[in-house]
Amino acid sequence: MKTLEEIEKLSPEELEAQAAAQGVHAPQDLQQRLRETLAARELAQTARPRPARWIPYASLAVAAAAAALVLLPSSGPKDTFDDPYLAYAEVEKAFRTISDKMNSGVELAREAGEAAEIPQNILQKIQSK
Amino acid sequence: MKHITLILAALLLSLSALAQNGKSIYQKYSDAEQVSAVYISPAMFRLIGKIPDIDTGSDKVNLSPVIRSLTGMYILNSENAAINGQLRAEAERFIQSGKYELLMEAKDSGQTMRMYTVGNDKVVNGFVMLAAEADEVTFICLDGQMPRDQFENLLASQMAD
Repeated sequence: MKTLEEIEKLSPEELEAQAAAQGVHAPQDLQQRLRETLAARELAQTARPRPARWIPYASLAVAAAAAALVLLPSSGPKDTFDDPYLAYAEVEKAFRTISDKMNSGVELAREAGEAAEIPQNILQKIQSK
Repeated sequence: MKHITLILAALLLSLSALAQNGKSIYQKYSDAEQVSAVYISPAMFRLIGKIPDIDTGSDKVNLSPVIRSLTGMYILNSENAAINGQLRAEAERFIQSGKYELLMEAKDSGQTMRMYTVGNDKVVNGFVMLAAEADEVTFICLDGQMPRDQFENLLASQMAD
């Protein structure tokens, strides 16, 4: 019994000679069985849908859906005013509302600032005594 | 085929989430009861911009430069308790998805007011004000290409009035 290292050192001719000397023969129908196995494998591969085949279709479908959503004209809301002067007045009113709300925020900040000054004043009084 | 369906479903869901904006919120709630709604279209803003001499009333504030840069205005004022919460939630979702930055927030006795802008240092592409009181929600959304300095000056000058 040869070790693996001994086998690796052998040349191909020596290996062939050794195999012939062993007297081991391949089964007679080996070639036929190999052919059948390969044919069955090929058939299975052709029957199964390859992932690469549906990817382009899926990409097209996705692109079409996206384009439809983006490009299709959607019915927008109707203008509230027909007269640009009235529309202008409404814009001015909206800006006034925004400013009023801002004012209330600024007023709150001012009140908070005044409240924050109270402890500071108390501390100053204590320090001055 | 399953993969295609799944991809399409995911795409449609994500696109519908992205598609939410001032317009879609306006369209959803503008016809509801106890809701007052104002929409000014880009075409109307163009028309306003062509009026040669707009009477600003107070003569202190000139809205014209900002108005010419606006492309849409949506205002919803709801006193309908049944939809107030939903309107507020949808507006907040739109603000979050639109990458708006908080400009100002004020809370007082259960009233909340937040203002947001989106854009850069020079241009404001969108402004949203969401004010919620106990029984009233106000949503104002402005779209456009407003020069930031002019927009802020306008608000400041109106505050000074």
